[in-house]
Amino acid sequence: MTTAARQTVAMFVDAYRELAAGKLFWITLILSALVAAAFAAVGIDEEGFTALWFRLDFIPVTSETLPPDALYKFLFFQLGMGIWLTWIATILGLVTTAGIIPSLVSSGVIDSMVAKPISRTRLFLTRYSSGLLFAALQVTLFTTAAFLVLGIRGGEWMPAVFLAVPIVVVFYSYLFAVMALIGLLTRSTITSLLMTLLLWFVLFIVNFTDASLVGIDTQTKIRIETLESRIAEVEANTAQTIIRQKTNAGEAMPEGYEPTLEEINEANPFINLMRDRLGSAQETRAKLRPWVTGTYIVKTILPKTGETIALLERYIISEEEGQALILAFSGDDEPEPSTVNEDTGEVVISPEQAQMAANEEFRSRSLLWVLGTSLLFEVAVLGLCCVIFARRDF
Amino acid sequence: MSTDLAIDLNHVAKTYKRLLRKGTPALRGIEMKVHRGEVFGLLGPNGAGKSTLVKILMTVIKPSKCQGQMLGYRIGNKAALTDVGYLPEHHSFPGYLTGGQVIDFFGAMAGVDRRTRKKRAGELLELVGMSDWSKRKLRSYSKGMRQRIGIAQSLINDPDLILLDEPTDGVDPVGRRDIRDVIERLKDQNKTIFINSHLLSELEMVCDRVAILVKGVVAQQGTLDELTEGQRGYLIRVAETDDAIDLLRNALPEASRQLPPGDDANPAKRIGFRGLLPSGESIEIERNVLRLGVTEPEQIQPIVDQIRQRAGVINEIRAIRPSLEDLFMQAVTDPHTGETLTPGAAERSDA
Repeated sequence: MTTAARQTVAMFVDAYRELAAGKLFWITLILSALVAAAFAAVGIDEEGFTALWFRLDFIPVTSETLPPDALYKFLFFQLGMGIWLTWIATILGLVTTAGIIPSLVSSGVIDSMVAKPISRTRLFLTRYSSGLLFAALQVTLFTTAAFLVLGIRGGEWMPAVFLAVPIVVVFYSYLFAVMALIGLLTRSTITSLLMTLLLWFVLFIVNFTDASLVGIDTQTKIRIETLESRIAEVEANTAQTIIRQKTNAGEAMPEGYEPTLEEINEANPFINLMRDRLGSAQETRAKLRPWVTGTYIVKTILPKTGETIALLERYIISEEEGQALILAFSGDDEPEPSTVNEDTGEVVISPEQAQMAANEEFRSRSLLWVLGTSLLFEVAVLGLCCVIFARRDF
Repeated sequence: MSTDLAIDLNHVAKTYKRLLRKGTPALRGIEMKVHRGEVFGLLGPNGAGKSTLVKILMTVIKPSKCQGQMLGYRIGNKAALTDVGYLPEHHSFPGYLTGGQVIDFFGAMAGVDRRTRKKRAGELLELVGMSDWSKRKLRSYSKGMRQRIGIAQSLINDPDLILLDEPTDGVDPVGRRDIRDVIERLKDQNKTIFINSHLLSELEMVCDRVAILVKGVVAQQGTLDELTEGQRGYLIRVAETDDAIDLLRNALPEASRQLPPGDDANPAKRIGFRGLLPSGESIEIERNVLRLGVTEPEQIQPIVDQIRQRAGVINEIRAIRPSLEDLFMQAVTDPHTGETLTPGAAERSDA
């Protein structure tokens, strides 16, 4: 074993000892086990939902509308990944590992560490990696439990769920890099933790804004498309009706006669109402686009926590499966298509269609954009950390 | 660099920079040589820059200027640290580790293989008297016990050069003696030991050479004999009687008695006088004590004979040499005002 390997192993073992010495480490692992147990306790049959020996009649889903494998996938992605790993376990993980860098640079420890035949950059990055190992350990244990539940209870063995390990660790690493930088600058565990949670909140706001804007934008797009299609349809119908009426009335019409737009509009005022709605929707979209683009640019610079977590769903659940999951809870076989209200000219969009359209938009964002730019942010933060750590007098 | 030197420093300077403020000089051109196989002591008042110098050697602090080498490597080269052991001042090893784990961890960080670490850790725990405590967490240790573990971890890589920053800090008298014994044993193994300590009496017992750092520069450097050159001599104390001064004066060679009245001009005070022997060495009589600035015992025999012939009663004869504390106090005392320097002297001098 080389000197570098010995140092790396020693630092990883030391980080484990440091974390294991804290109660929170064990609390987080026990909670993970409980969540996995709760995951396994939920079931579905032809009569409905069950939890242990209780029947949950208020949930209107049966194994016919939602097969067990789809249920467990849904629970894993929506609750296991979406809430437990992304939020609760991450917060617990951040609290547990917040001291990793401050404890390295605290007076009394750093002298002994720096005064060893190891470069400062490697010392810092190894210490940083040891914090990520904790996240990896936690996610691996949870994912293994989820894999077993999916296989045993859902009947579908999906090794692909282990993609959750790198994806969650990468997601965690964005926040951990920022926490490391603040910990390095302030040497304070609590400050680094609070500032990181603040950044995370900012990212959440940006993500929420982005999701809202994309949601409105895609709905407006559907509205425009629906109106354009409906207007064309109504115009054709109206034109045919005008011709038919003229024919029935015995009016003379030149060969190949087509009613003019004015004639059509005059004959059917509803078209104008729809045109007004279309114009309004187009204007709304034109105003919305700069905001959608602006938010996209801001997100390009920042780490994309939401999209990173969503990658797992993207790569494990096909678009069709995703749509099926959405439809399972609506009780429909297909999403209800958007329609135009005959009285008001307003477009009516079903929530499922809106959600599917937004999902489609998010899925169109490339892997390079999601991971590449986020990792670029992380590399920039870590680079700054390395420069500060390498140049600082302790 | 001579291979005889473990540390050879030239023009080492460090100024702590502060944003939008004038920098604070800590070291202002250190010149220092530490020979291989010797025990070297570094002393100085608080704020003189001792810890800064040690940290520069250990790459913990980057110097503003530095020409010099340590174990043949330029200062700042991490490769040199493979053969260096270090006990930092105010160290705070993690409380969740046991004593044995601390030694093992820092051994691994120094690049020592597992088998050697295991073997040496046992020996070192034995050496510092901590074998029975090796499996207990550091949080249950006293300060002195942590210090012993600190010394053990500094030796895990069997270093050629060991830098000990305040090694006896918080250690009881028995522990201090044990640490002195460890240093003596290391010296017997031809290790070079660099000690930074406030406990001058202990440094005096173990150090071959010392340097006194004042205001960020080396005020004095050398062996104790070199540093006390011209200040050594002999002391003769006779029984305290009214004519003790006359007795001592008359015991001196004839030429030395013919001194100007000097300090004994006022017989009422009967304090004494200062003068020279015919050979040029100093004489100082103070009441019943005669101090002679001679270095050879043969030179005082005629004077002892004269005192005895005059029926004088000699209570004490001994060689005198300034202690390290005396040298230290001389170095940190302003020759113009007679006041000792206060902590942070390096900073104040340039403020």
